[in-house]
Formats: sequence, structure tokens, C-alpha cells
Amino acid sequence: MNLKKYQNELAVLLSLLLLMGAFLYKNIKVSSSTKEASSLQHSVDEFKEIIALKRVWADKGLPKKITALKNTIPAAKVTWSKKGKKLTAVYAGLSATELNRLIMKVMNLAVQIQFLDIQKSGSSYHVELKCKW
Amino acid sequence: MNFMGSNKELLLVHAEMPRQFLSHDVNVMLTPQYYTLKREDIPVKYLYQAKKIAPSLFEGLLEEVGEYSYLVYKEEEQWIFIAYNLGQIRSLLLSKGIQPEKVSKIFFAQQAVDAFTAPMFLGEKEALVVMENTVVVVPRQALKEETKPLTFDDSFTPKTGISIGGGVQGSLLDVTQAALLSTLFILFAAIFFVEGSRYTNSSSEIEEEMQMLLEDHPILQSKIQRESVAQKYTHIETKEKQKRETIKRVSKLIFKGSTLISLTVQDKGFKALFSYTDDAVLKRLQVLAKDEKFAKVKVLNGKKVQIEGAL
Repeated sequence: MNLKKYQNELAVLLSLLLLMGAFLYKNIKVSSSTKEASSLQHSVDEFKEIIALKRVWADKGLPKKITALKNTIPAAKVTWSKKGKKLTAVYAGLSATELNRLIMKVMNLAVQIQFLDIQKSGSSYHVELKCKW
Repeated sequence: MNFMGSNKELLLVHAEMPRQFLSHDVNVMLTPQYYTLKREDIPVKYLYQAKKIAPSLFEGLLEEVGEYSYLVYKEEEQWIFIAYNLGQIRSLLLSKGIQPEKVSKIFFAQQAVDAFTAPMFLGEKEALVVMENTVVVVPRQALKEETKPLTFDDSFTPKTGISIGGGVQGSLLDVTQAALLSTLFILFAAIFFVEGSRYTNSSSEIEEEMQMLLEDHPILQSKIQRESVAQKYTHIETKEKQKRETIKRVSKLIFKGSTLISLTVQDKGFKALFSYTDDAVLKRLQVLAKDEKFAKVKVLNGKKVQIEGAL
């Protein structure tokens, strides 16, 4: 076969191959770059989630916030025992409103509830709370 | 030696040229019988302008057979116009045994006018001579007998020639089409290459963000540490959310006639005790417990209901 006879077609074919190669190169780059960006974004999101979780459950301001559990109820009804990062609180003779207020406070604080016991005694409530942070 | 032109063998094609048997590529030079020359002193500055007017200069001069092409160049202050018919040239070459695909470049004798410093014999009857700066064919008889002829060799190769490539028989594309398509494809290829290379840097912003996070939280630099911290706090988050959700769900069972007697929540589970006033309240309590998906609902003596669950 005489290649020279088809030199024009060969030139077009070569440039077409170049075009296809370039298209393939671009597609591979786009695909790998997207994959890499997606993986990196996933890592960043995970990182941010860890930071957010740490900020909530290892809040350094929590020891101060925890006193709200004491102050929200009249002192006479509270037996308070806080040792390090652990709290044992006993509430006696709480009205329904006081109980609701206390439970709302507990639920809104980022403490780990170890034991929560509510007992109704007549028209009042007895609450024992053990938590840590 | 011709540094600018081709190094291929140059053949002078003329009427008396014997049939050739070629095994290699050659360049050919055509004698004036195979082209039409016009020398014009026209006021145009650029080659493209001269090329544009070339067809009009040859109107009525050329045989109306096939399509003509034009080679235009400047010789001192004058424009030289050469009209040629590629179809006829191809036929001529074939008649001389030269396959068009073996021809790299075609030149015209006029292009090498300066090289014809003496007459050149074309076979027995004709000779090439330069008259008024134009290469022409004359009968050998017109020359003096003692004339020493030139020998034709590759040194006659001019700098530029025309390609027969566009007209190679059997070829589907001519040079212009091939050049156009190739340019288009190469252009698109370049665009794709540039686009592809630009994508490499697309994730740099996320990388910077990650770097900033790592700098702000050096304790989380190692992946193992991150996984350990994430595991610890995810576990706490899940467990504590469950406890708080359970308290909320239990509180939904308190309504008129249903009273919470006790509720105990621990890490492993919870236990709630309700009292109810009548069967209608009990029924509603059971429905609500079912809605809240409490699996263990036990009706006790003394109008009491115990609900238990794991966390």
C-alpha cells in the first residue's frame, strides 16, 4: 500500500487521534479531579463534624452552665454533689412546673445522663440525677 | 547545494523525456510547454492581492479544459504569474512513467531562471534558453553549433514549489480540506488539553480549607486520632440523643386521666409507670404507646401501665 497516496487522510487521522487523546485526557482529568475533590470535601466535612461534636460534648464552659440545674430550683429542695466532671443531684418536693423546668434544663445541657429517676409522691415529685461531662 | 529546498532528485520533464522507472520520490521541474506565464507590472503590494487577480489576467489565454491553479511570486519589481493545470500535469507525469504519488514538489523552469546561465538541450530537437529574463523552449537549430549546454541537476531546485498532494488520485481529501480538518481537530485537542490541565487545580480551595482546619486543631492531625475522637463523640451524641428523645416520647403519654408515676432513664434503657383513670384512658394510652413504638407495654393491677424499652 502506498501511504503517500493517502497522506492527506493520514494527516487528518493523526490529528483526529490527537483530538481523541486530548478528549480522553480531559475526561480522565475531570473524573479524577472530581473524585479527588469529593474525597477531600468528605474529609473536610468529617473534620468539621468532629470539631462540632467536640465543641458540644466537651464544652469547656459546661461546669458554669451546670449550675443552672441548681439555681433553677429553690435551694432547700436540692441536694447537690459535684465531684470533678460528675454530678449527683437529688431534688425533693418538686411541683409539676419545677419538674418540667428542671427536665428541660437537663435536656438542653450537653451532659451525659447516667441516671435519671423521677418518682411521683402525692402531688410532688422526687428526682435523682446523675450525670457527667 | 540547496539548503532551503528539498534534497530529492530533481527531474526536468519535457516533451522528449524518456519514460521513467522510479523506485524513489522525486521533485520535477516542468518546461514552459506545460504552463502559461505572465509577467505583470501591477500596483499591488501583497501576494494575496496578486493571487486574487491572477485568474482575470489569464482570461481567454487558457484552454477551457479542467481547472487551473496559479503560482504567483515577485521577481525584482514585477509579479510573475504562472497558470498550470494539475490534471494535465498529472497526465503528463503518468505518460512519462512518473506516478504522481512519487512526486514531492513540482517546480516551473521559470522559477530557476537565474540558474539557466546557458542553453540546456532537451533531447535532439529542442533547448531551453533564457530570453528577456524568461525561460523559453527554442529549436536546437536556432543555437550556435559551438554552444556549450548546461547539465541539469538538483542545484536547479527552487525554494518553493507546488504540491501535487491535493490531487493525488484515489485520495478522498485535497490539501485544503485536510489542512482545514487537521487544524480544527488540533484546535479542539488544544482546548481539551488546556481544560484538562486546569482541572488539576480545582480542588486546591478544599485543600486550603483542610490545611487551615489542621492548623487550628493540631490534635486532630493524625487520621487515627480523628477517627478515635469521632468514634467517642458520635457514640455519646447517639446515646444522649436517644435518652432525650425517649423522655420526650414518654412525656407525650401524659394527658388528662393518665399520670406519670415514675420514670427511670439509664444508659441501657428506661422504665416508666403510668396510672390511668378508666378503660378509655387505658385504650388511648395503649394507642399512643403503639404510635411511639414502645414495644413493651404491660397493664398492671391497680390501673397502672408499665412501659419499658432499651436504648
